[in-house]
Amino acid sequence: MTRHAAGSVLRKPAEAAPAPVAPPARGRRRRRGLGRGLLLYAVLLPGGLVFASVFLYAVLSAFKPADEVLATPMRWLPSSFRWSNFAEPFEQVAFGRYYLNSVVVGVAVTLLNVVTCTLAGYSFSKFAYRGRSLLFLVVMATMMIPLEVIYVPLYALIFDLGWVNSFTGLIVPAGTSAFGILLMRQSIDGLPDEILDAARLDGAGELRILWRIVTPMMGAPLSALALIVFMATWDSHLWPLLVGSDDAHRTLPVGLAAMQADNAGTTGIPMLMAAAVMALLPTLILFTLLQRRFVQGMTMTADVK
Amino acid sequence: MTSTTVRTFRPARSATSRRKWIGAAFAVPALALFGAFAIYPMARVFYISFFDYDLTSAPRWVGLQNYRYLMDSDSFQASLTATVFYVGFTYVPAVLLALVLAVGLDTRLPGSGFIRLLYFAPVAMSWVAVSIIWRLVLQPDGLLNTVLGTHVNWLTSDSSAKWALVVTSIWKETGLFVILFLAGLQRIPPELREAAAIDGAGRLAIFRHVTLPLLKPVTAVVCVMAVIRGCQSFSAQVVLTGGSFDTEVINLYVYKTAFESARMGRASAVAVLLFFVLLLVTIVQLRIFRSRER
Repeated sequence: MTRHAAGSVLRKPAEAAPAPVAPPARGRRRRRGLGRGLLLYAVLLPGGLVFASVFLYAVLSAFKPADEVLATPMRWLPSSFRWSNFAEPFEQVAFGRYYLNSVVVGVAVTLLNVVTCTLAGYSFSKFAYRGRSLLFLVVMATMMIPLEVIYVPLYALIFDLGWVNSFTGLIVPAGTSAFGILLMRQSIDGLPDEILDAARLDGAGELRILWRIVTPMMGAPLSALALIVFMATWDSHLWPLLVGSDDAHRTLPVGLAAMQADNAGTTGIPMLMAAAVMALLPTLILFTLLQRRFVQGMTMTADVK
Repeated sequence: MTSTTVRTFRPARSATSRRKWIGAAFAVPALALFGAFAIYPMARVFYISFFDYDLTSAPRWVGLQNYRYLMDSDSFQASLTATVFYVGFTYVPAVLLALVLAVGLDTRLPGSGFIRLLYFAPVAMSWVAVSIIWRLVLQPDGLLNTVLGTHVNWLTSDSSAKWALVVTSIWKETGLFVILFLAGLQRIPPELREAAAIDGAGRLAIFRHVTLPLLKPVTAVVCVMAVIRGCQSFSAQVVLTGGSFDTEVINLYVYKTAFESARMGRASAVAVLLFFVLLLVTIVQLRIFRSRER
């Protein structure tokens, strides 16, 4: 009671104090707002348009006849929009196949990551077994091992397993991630133990608790994890080049790079642009729609260090 | 009374130990994958680096010969130079530019979401697709020369190919760092900056003495990420130059050594050196940012 009263007594002058200062502060804030607006609309907007014009240039070039892409003086718009450029990759190379492979590998790797990272994150968060912190430390230490350091022996291993030019080789080695485990552990840490204990008292098994209680509350981190893993897999080039370079297993990056190498002249440029634009659309759309999840996932894990 | 408490207590205890085992088992799939596809290859990369190995015939022990070869190899030295050039001239400007952009974009004014997206979009595009697009932009009659009014052979000369890669990569990477900085900025309580403003601090002073120190943890993450991503660069070089014109960065060097010359041992030795460099740079960076915090 007394503390409450004291609090309110203390609060009053504190609230009252800024009142005489308020007019200049508000004025400054308005000026700051004006400066912000000017910066945003007069500098960052034009800058952004220049930045994005590269992409627009690529999209418009994808519609041009071959002799217009590098015409001098440069023209932004094609004389007529050639939609057939977008059909060409499917006719000249197995572009549909590459696309399908990218979708299959992307979805499979994402699902595997969602499962393994949720299980491991739950394990590291809610069970006090011996060696837990050591194991978690080992997992985090693997973040310091980029693919670039280990891909030679990793390839040798996949070679020995007979997984070269197979979907197993493309998918399984990417089946979990330290980043994902960290993200899921951090998120599950926020769940109160009481909810889990209540479910245990009702006789629910651990897997059932994970599936029925934990997972439904993890919508945000799970979609962040799925988005980030899918985008990374869609972008992945080096590993698929090693273990899936034949036509039946090529993903889009491998297929695109091969198309580029086979079409060094200018005649292939519109087709290449069409292929590149088609290849980057799925992740661009996903990212645009789920931008906030991407940011969430990236920052939740960046927080720990 | 006592007997009932004992009776309920005992199964509860065995249930907790059983529960612990189940909980530990949940980590097994991830741990198995890490063991097989990260930790085992990590151990192997050290081991193979002491062998001459072409994947098909039996490895032959050569001791430190692979490392000695690298010390004298001009092409290895060149790949180090190319990597340092690429990482430095791409990621230092990209991070600084990202910081400035993030400060400007940290607002809720109408249209700011759209403007942000203009800068973020390359983050969502794959490296190979971006590189193919930039290959056109960088043609002698392409967009870049047209805009600059120059006639540079961006992709086919020793002096400019490395800059072509730098420009392409800054375009691709800046957005990612803007995202991270922006998230960091939005977590700084606005009261702190307002309080500094009321105390009469100018905008620049607020940025230097309030915003920047509070951004330190994010900056640390961004810098570590930048170096690691820079050393991983591969697709842009493959598509834009194929590694010619002084652009054969370390990762491309490893790839060519292992899979074009079939020298797995020598490639592993490079990978080992790369690992230690990355580890060292990461530790140094984290230490710098931590010590400044105190």
